[in-house]
Amino acid sequence: MEAVIEVKDLKRTYITRRGFLKKEKRMVQAVDGISFSVQRGEIFGLLGQNGAGKTTTIKMLTTLLAPTAGSCKVLGCETFGQERQIRTRINFIFGGEMGVYRRLSARDNLRYFSNLYLIPRREQDERIERILKLVDLADRADDLAETYSKGMIQRLQIARGLINDPEILFMDEPTVGLDPVGARMLRDIIHRLKEQGKTVLLTTHNLAEVEELCDRLIIINKGKVVAGGTPAEIKGGAQSLEDAYVKLIEGVSA
Amino acid sequence: MNLAVLRSTMRVQIKQSFARPMFRFCLIANPILNTILLYEMYRSSGQENFMAYVVLGAGLMGLWGCICFSSAGDINRERYSGTLALIFAAPASFPGIILGKIIGNTLISLLTLGISLVTAVALYQIPLRLESPFYFLLALLAAVLAFVVISSVIACLLTLSRKTELYMNCIEIPINLLCGFVFPVSVLPGAVQALSRGLSPTYAVELLRMSVWGVEDPGAFWQKLGVMMGLTALYAVLSALLYRRIDRRVRIAATLEVA
Repeated sequence: MEAVIEVKDLKRTYITRRGFLKKEKRMVQAVDGISFSVQRGEIFGLLGQNGAGKTTTIKMLTTLLAPTAGSCKVLGCETFGQERQIRTRINFIFGGEMGVYRRLSARDNLRYFSNLYLIPRREQDERIERILKLVDLADRADDLAETYSKGMIQRLQIARGLINDPEILFMDEPTVGLDPVGARMLRDIIHRLKEQGKTVLLTTHNLAEVEELCDRLIIINKGKVVAGGTPAEIKGGAQSLEDAYVKLIEGVSA
Repeated sequence: MNLAVLRSTMRVQIKQSFARPMFRFCLIANPILNTILLYEMYRSSGQENFMAYVVLGAGLMGLWGCICFSSAGDINRERYSGTLALIFAAPASFPGIILGKIIGNTLISLLTLGISLVTAVALYQIPLRLESPFYFLLALLAAVLAFVVISSVIACLLTLSRKTELYMNCIEIPINLLCGFVFPVSVLPGAVQALSRGLSPTYAVELLRMSVWGVEDPGAFWQKLGVMMGLTALYAVLSALLYRRIDRRVRIAATLEVA
């Protein structure tokens, strides 16, 4: 098996300054020395409380944020310094209603991102049509995104994330705001991506989703890894993954 | 630079800008109101060619306003809508995308000059003279280039900070004054004039005004154009260097998104 994501002792500190005359410097250690690796074709979960460092980790992996220390490699390249080699081969979806141009239609959004991902014009139409059908937006493809429901915007985000047929798809709480049908559709898409040999790294608070989808996962708390393994290994003797998760988090926070 | 990226960004930008009521206000209402204001100010000034200060002045103020609140404001809008991170991490070059946005904005913002002209003719039936149309066209192209490049430098700097709205409000009026959009730079104090001479739009405005009055000394026109192009080239180099630097800096400072 080939490791497509390799994270070693990764750290990220945020520095903020407050005050007008006397600047007060404040440091927040969002990620504090985490290590893990993801194999090609795996669906890998990143679990943790709000503020645990999941989104910061995903941002470093997707070349959006520089690590403060440690190594962060995707497809064998450092995400800070060798990002050009990575960007055509990955994509990411952040949960919520952000990340689309609301004054453009779904089709125009996808066409624009096709151009930004340097997809040849002759391939664009077929690809956009296929993805619109996949996320069930074909009927409203030419309506402005600002007229869409929350779930539809989320599905448009998913479509955008698939536009370059990425080898690795990063998803940060992708089912937030999705109705059960939309969430099921997303899980089906993730299963299909796995069948195609794609790698998916996702964060979620939905533990049932983790059990259904993830081959392996890590749990992070306050920027540190507190557990890792398959869902069954993490569950251990507990009645459910949720019980095991709560016990782990409470044990560390106590 | 990928032309498909540039073209599609321009198209998207024009569509998006025009869909915003605030942009439409800046594009349409601003030049009309500025034309009325400037005409009333210049009516008793003894100036006969209203094209030079009223139409050009109102049009340029509108043009710069649109550029400020769109080219600069767009960075913030993209940041708050979560798309700044997406375009930054896309394989297409980020400076190329920003350039496409700026060119799109600047081209659509040129409408302010036309609106100002139509307002002046329709409301005041004043005689408007354009003595050297060829030189005017040349000066207009040079002005577009100057505005595109200076906007590129500003947009680049604004990517680094989350206080975009503050800065874009801070740069609108000073540029109107420093670059002599509605009065000659020569009326400014000497030290301020030195600052004006470092800004390429100052020369662009002077070239436009020269061509409106009639270019009597082509040598002086070409010399001014040369200075303007030199400054623009300098800005372009500065912009390229800055973009290289911000590519690292924004990821260290984490300013691509809202905290």
